[in-house]
Amino acid sequence: MRQIFQYHPVVGYTFVPEVRARIPHETGGYLVRANRAGFRADRDFVPQRTPGLRRVLLFGDSFTAGDGVSNGQRYADRLEQEVDRLEVYNFGLPGSGTDQQYLAYREFAQGIEHDVLIIAVLVENIRRIVSAYREYLNDQGEPVLYAKPYYLLEGNELVLKNNPPAKDPIPKAEFDRDAGEQVDQGGRFLGLRKLVIAAGLKGIAQKITRYQPVPEYNSPDDPAWQLMRAILVRWIGSHPRPVVVMPIPLYHFVEQTSNPDAYRERFRELARDTGCTLHDPLADLLAYSAEERRAFRFEKDIHPTPAYHAALAKSLAVTVRRLLPETTP
Amino acid sequence: MSKTILGISAFYHDSAAAVVRDGEIVAAAQEERFSRKKHDPRFPRHAVNYCLEEAFVEPSELDAIVFYDNPVLTLDRVVKSCLTAGSGALDQFETAARSLLGVKVWIQDYVRQTVGSLGKEGRLLFTEHHMSHAASAFYPSPFHEAAILVADGVGEWATTTLGAGRENQVELFQEIDYPHSLGLLYSAFTSFCGFKVNSGEYKLMGLAPYGQPHYADKILEHLIDVRPDGSYRLDMRYFGYLDSHKMTNERFHELFGGPPREAESNITRREMDLAASVQVVLEEVMLKMARHLRERTGLSQLVLAGGVALNCVMNGKLLREKIFDELWIQPAAGDAGGSLGAALMAHYHYFGGQRKYNPTGRDSQHGSYFGPAYSVHETKALLDRKGYPYEHVPDPEQRAAKIAAELAAGKIVGFCSGRMEFGPRSLGARSIIGDPRRVDMQQVMNLKIKYRESFRPFAPAVLLEDVAEYFDLHCESPYMLLVDQVQPQRQRAMDWAKFRSGDDNMLEVISQPRSDIPAVTHVDYSARVQTVHPDDNPEFARVLRKFKELTGCSVLVNTSFNVRGEPIVCTPQDAYLCFMRTEIDLLVLDECLLHKSAQPAMEDSQDWRKEYELD
Repeated sequence: MRQIFQYHPVVGYTFVPEVRARIPHETGGYLVRANRAGFRADRDFVPQRTPGLRRVLLFGDSFTAGDGVSNGQRYADRLEQEVDRLEVYNFGLPGSGTDQQYLAYREFAQGIEHDVLIIAVLVENIRRIVSAYREYLNDQGEPVLYAKPYYLLEGNELVLKNNPPAKDPIPKAEFDRDAGEQVDQGGRFLGLRKLVIAAGLKGIAQKITRYQPVPEYNSPDDPAWQLMRAILVRWIGSHPRPVVVMPIPLYHFVEQTSNPDAYRERFRELARDTGCTLHDPLADLLAYSAEERRAFRFEKDIHPTPAYHAALAKSLAVTVRRLLPETTP
Repeated sequence: MSKTILGISAFYHDSAAAVVRDGEIVAAAQEERFSRKKHDPRFPRHAVNYCLEEAFVEPSELDAIVFYDNPVLTLDRVVKSCLTAGSGALDQFETAARSLLGVKVWIQDYVRQTVGSLGKEGRLLFTEHHMSHAASAFYPSPFHEAAILVADGVGEWATTTLGAGRENQVELFQEIDYPHSLGLLYSAFTSFCGFKVNSGEYKLMGLAPYGQPHYADKILEHLIDVRPDGSYRLDMRYFGYLDSHKMTNERFHELFGGPPREAESNITRREMDLAASVQVVLEEVMLKMARHLRERTGLSQLVLAGGVALNCVMNGKLLREKIFDELWIQPAAGDAGGSLGAALMAHYHYFGGQRKYNPTGRDSQHGSYFGPAYSVHETKALLDRKGYPYEHVPDPEQRAAKIAAELAAGKIVGFCSGRMEFGPRSLGARSIIGDPRRVDMQQVMNLKIKYRESFRPFAPAVLLEDVAEYFDLHCESPYMLLVDQVQPQRQRAMDWAKFRSGDDNMLEVISQPRSDIPAVTHVDYSARVQTVHPDDNPEFARVLRKFKELTGCSVLVNTSFNVRGEPIVCTPQDAYLCFMRTEIDLLVLDECLLHKSAQPAMEDSQDWRKEYELD
C-alpha cells in the first residue's frame, strides 16, 4: 500500500503532499487525495478568499479527515453542498489529538482568510492529548510507538513536549513504562477488549456493563479534561473570528449504549466560559432510527459511514449558516 | 460516451487488473508486484485497488467489470477431459474442481465482496480467454486491421486461435483445442529440462543457443503432427498433463534418453539440445500457421498474444521471414494481459466504442508503463522517515549525467523511475542497468546481483535512432519481444571447439567476448532488443543519451529489478530492499539517488534468499 503520511517536525505528521491513494477497506476501499499542504483535500489551501465564497476552516481527527470514505463523502464536503457559497478547508488529520490539531492550526492556518473556525473534537481525543506516543504496526507487522507532540499543564501554563517529536519509532517491547509517559492504544481495557471482541460479545458486554468509553469527562477536575479544556481555551481565545466547537460522539453514544451526559456537560461549560459556539450534534443524530444509527458506522470499522457524514453535515449546516456572513468582502 | 471499465484476470497464473477509459488504457498491473508472490494466481485485489486508485474512480462508478475468461466453459473442459482420461485423472479433477467450484463459479459474488460493487451494470461480464488475448493484441496495436494469432497453454478449450481484427471488431475463426497445445508442448520440455512450468520457459529459450536441434525430428515424428497449414495434434500418449499432475510420462522420458533433469542440478548437453530442438519445432509450427493466416485473411499485419508470444526468438524469426509486413505483440502476452483484453473487449464489443489510435501512428500501449508511480514527495517521505541518505537531483539533465557517469565507471544501477511496466519485462522503469561493453558484466550481474543461472543472457536497451548501428533490426522493439543479430562488424569470433567436444561447461562459452557489447550478446550473436523512444520513457532515454555522450555507446544492459524468484520491484521500499540485498552500487528512486556506500547497514533478520521460491 502507498505511504500516505510523512513526518512533520511540529505536528508529528501530515499527509504526503499531493498523494492520491485508494485505501483498502471492508467496503472495498476508499479514495484519498491530499493537497500541496499535506491535508486531505481536493483543493489547495490559499490565503486569499475565493471570490463569492465564504470559508470555514475545520480541524479534527480521522472522523473529520474521513477514514473509511472517499473525499467527496465526508461531512466537510457535504457541508459545502448543504450551505450555499461555502468552501471548507479541511485540516482533519487521522490519529491526531486536539493538541496536534491546535499545532496544525498554528503551523498551517495562519494568514488564511476565513469566516468561521470549527474545532471538531471526537470525544475520544481526550485520551490522545495525554499521550506521548501512539502505537502503529511497522512493515513487519510488529507494534512500534511513534512519538507525538503533546502538552503538559504545569500550573496554568501549557508546556509543549516532544517538540519536535522523534522521527524513529520505538519498538513497543523497548518502551519504558516507568518513564511516566503514556501510550494511546485507541481505547480502554485493551486486553479485555480483545477477548470480548474475539468472542463476538462486544455489543452485549458494553450494554450490560453500561460501558463508559471516556470517563475522563466525568468530573470537571479530571486532569485529562483540564488539559483538553486548557488547549481549547487557548485556541479559542487566540482566534479572532467565530469559533464553533463540535464534540463528535462515539458510536456508543449515538447507539445509546453509553451515557453522554458527562462529556456534553463539559463542553457546555467550555462554551459558557469561552463564548464559543457549541454545536452538539448528538440530539440531531438521535432523531434517526436505531437501525439508521447502527448504519452510521461500518460493520467492523467504527469510523463514520457516508450516511453518518451526511447526517453530521445536515446537523452542522444549521449552525454554520447562522454564523456565516451573508456577503463576502 | 464516457465508459470506464475494469478488467480482471485471475485464478490460473499471473492475476492482473486493468482499467480502460474511453478505449484508453489508464492502468494495468499484475498482482505479483504488490503481493510479492511471483506469478500470483489469487484474486488481484491489490492490482484492482491500484487500478481504481490510478483511475481515481469508485467501483460503483465503473460502467462494467469484466472477467477475462468463462469459468463455466473451463469447467466443461475439465469435466470432459477427466472423463476421457478415465480413473487416472481423478486427482487432477479433484484439484481443478476445488478451484473451479470454490471461487471461479462464484466469481461474481467474490468480486462484489472484494471490490465493493459490480459497477453500473450490476453484474459481472465475462469474455472468453482467447478473445481477451486477441483483444489485448489487436486494440492497442497501431493497425486498423490485422490478422490475429493467439497461442498459449490453455484457456477454456482453445489453445491456439486464429482471427482478424478490423477497426473496433475482433473475430476469431479457427481454433485448436485442448489437450493439443503448442504452449503445453513447450512447457513439457521446460519441465523435463528441470525448469518450472509457467516460469522457466524463458530459461529454456535462453538455453537453446548452446545446443543443437538433434531432437527436432524425433519431436516431429513422435510428439506432434504438424500439417501444412500449421494446425497440429499432439500424441497424448507421451504427455502426463491429461491424467496426472505431471507434464510428461515414462514414454516421453524413454524417448529422450531417461528421466527428467532434477531442478538445480547440472545442465547437460541433452537439455541444451532439447531446448534447441523444441525451439525449432515451435518456430516451424508458428511460421506455417502465420503463412496460412496471411493467405486466409489477406491482411499484411499480424498481432500476437498468449504466452507463446513471449518467445521472442520465435517472434524475431517471424519478422525476418517477412510473412507479414508488420508485427505487433502485446507485451503482457500471458494471462495478465487478459485483464486488459477483457476491458478492451467490453469497450469495443459490448459498448460499441469507436476505435482509438495513437495520433503519432505508434501503438496505444505507450511503452506499457501502466503501473504505479511514486511521487518525489512519497519517495522523500519514505527516505526521511527511514533515515536513508540520498541525494536529491531535481534537474533531469543533471540527474541523467550523474547516473550515466556511474554506469560508465562500471557501476551497476538499480533504476526505479516513473510508472511500473505492465508485462513480464522490465523496460527502464523497474530495471537494473549496466555497461554492456564490459566483458565481466554478464557474470557479475547474474551471480552477484540476480543470483541466477550464469548461462542466462541479458537484454540491451538501445536508443531507437541508433538501433541499426548495433542490431540487424529495422523496426521498433519497445517491449523486448524481438530477437535479432548483433551487427556482424561488432561480432567477435568464438571458439566452440572445447565446448562442442563434449565439455558441458557453458562458462567456456559465456566467458568469451562475443562482440563489443558482450554482456548483451548471446552465444549465437543474438540479442533481445529493447528500443527506447523518448516519448515512452523520457527519463530512461536521457540516461542512454548521456551514456552515449560519455562513452560513444548508446546501449545499456537492461534486466529486471529483482533477484531470482522475486517479483520485479514495485515500490521504492521494494527497490531499496533489493538494492541493499545485492551488489547494486547506485539506486535511483526517480529524483533521488542513493549510493550503497552511504547507506546504513541493513538489519535483515530474515534469510531473504529463502524468502522467494526459486523459479
